[in-house]
Amino acid sequence: MNRVVTLAVFNIRVLLGERMWFVLSWALFGLQLAIYGSLMSKLVVVEDYFFFYSIGLIVIIVFESSADLGRHFVEHAREGELPYFLSLPISRRGLFAANALYGATNTVIRVLPPLAITLAILGRFSIQGIVFTMIALFLLGLGISGIMISMSFIAFKSVDIYIALVAGLSALLIRFSTAFYPIGRIPPIYQPASYATPLTYGADLSRWVLGYDPQLLLNPTVALVIVIAVAVGTISLSMTIMGRIIEGVKAA
Amino acid sequence: MSQTYRIFQIARTDFSYFFRTKWLMAILISLNLSDMLVTGLVYSGMISFDYFSFFVPGIVTMGLFTAATDTGRRIWLALREGVVQYYLTLPVRTSGLVLAYIVSGGLGGVVYSLSLLAVASLVLPPKGILNILLLLPILFVLATGIAGLAAFLASLARQGEVYWAYAQALQVTMVTISTIFYPRETITQFLPGIVASIAEANPLSLAARALRESAFGSSPLSTSLMVELLATSLPFAILGAIAYWVILRTIRVRGKP
Repeated sequence: MNRVVTLAVFNIRVLLGERMWFVLSWALFGLQLAIYGSLMSKLVVVEDYFFFYSIGLIVIIVFESSADLGRHFVEHAREGELPYFLSLPISRRGLFAANALYGATNTVIRVLPPLAITLAILGRFSIQGIVFTMIALFLLGLGISGIMISMSFIAFKSVDIYIALVAGLSALLIRFSTAFYPIGRIPPIYQPASYATPLTYGADLSRWVLGYDPQLLLNPTVALVIVIAVAVGTISLSMTIMGRIIEGVKAA
Repeated sequence: MSQTYRIFQIARTDFSYFFRTKWLMAILISLNLSDMLVTGLVYSGMISFDYFSFFVPGIVTMGLFTAATDTGRRIWLALREGVVQYYLTLPVRTSGLVLAYIVSGGLGGVVYSLSLLAVASLVLPPKGILNILLLLPILFVLATGIAGLAAFLASLARQGEVYWAYAQALQVTMVTISTIFYPRETITQFLPGIVASIAEANPLSLAARALRESAFGSSPLSTSLMVELLATSLPFAILGAIAYWVILRTIRVRGKP
């Protein structure tokens, strides 16, 4: 346990050294919300669209920071650090737990300040709301990280193919999800794809927790069950991959 | 072999490198097509005017922007990995190298946006094919301007990962403060005058407007709009070219940037 914490703390220290990226991420979030969000909310005929959009934007930050974990893992493999980590006296599960702690910290640092400030500005701030939203977003983040780490074995064959697949998949997961539009407003032809992306459930669950009109959202129980199922399923899959496939991996 | 031919060869190699970078093509195509065919269609059902017709020319302009900014990434990589030292041994003038990069960035932007335009024409038939042809040289100047801006940022951030921060900030700022996603009347009505003025003068807004009015709309090409587009794009191209030239010159003289 002590070794897991030591490794996680090391990774988190490296992460905290990259303050510029956090500040940039918060600044760009503010710019997008203040200009794009406020203008689109004047054009779009959906109840309280500004709030709807701001939570969608938060979900995108969670998606990006979770996808970062997969990239972080692939970079370790490419730069030859992974064989070093594999040689440490720590179990594969421990190594995975340390990476998960790093990913969770990354998500919390990126998401918590913009979420708290946005809710305060919109007059929806409450400790309870923040805590439960962060739990919902954390579960969503675990699912996304699991998907990205599960796909990382492709990078051991070709990093270019991995980046291309992740980029294509990310675009589809985001665009078809309910991050920026309610499920009822998505054309029927696209709705099956919307139900297939985990972002839909994470976004609607977070909005429900924060008191958005439930009639425009998916059933929260279904959303919660699916977010948990995706998190457990993809994390189990990525642990299997980490335990079996990456042994003996070569640095690029 | 003449200087012009050497410059042409370097530009051609850089241009083909852009289209051969599979992961980059996957990112650009998946982002732009999903924006056009998913986001545009969904939003058009939530907005009272014909938003799809408004949005598609904006996405074509955004495609031109993202493709042209890749010049910055290529310059940054060349500076970071020392490939630029090799370039400097080639029998070509420093200004020739700069010109080759800027021209290849401009061509990349135009060719990529034309391919988006071809896809867009399947769902939104253009009304002014001739106007598109007339717009091409202006769009090329715009793309070289953006490539120049990206070259400027790459020259500033020649070490570390700072370039990505600059590139991301440039993209979000230029695309958000423009009329790519929303009409200028909406910006004027709801945001401070200074933001509305910046959005109106943004070359991306001007290009999107030209495509909306004259390529997908039936209005004739506006000369004043073309002049404005040229006047806002050229300074970027010149600034970027000078910045990259200064860096190359410094490397030639001192051996390092």
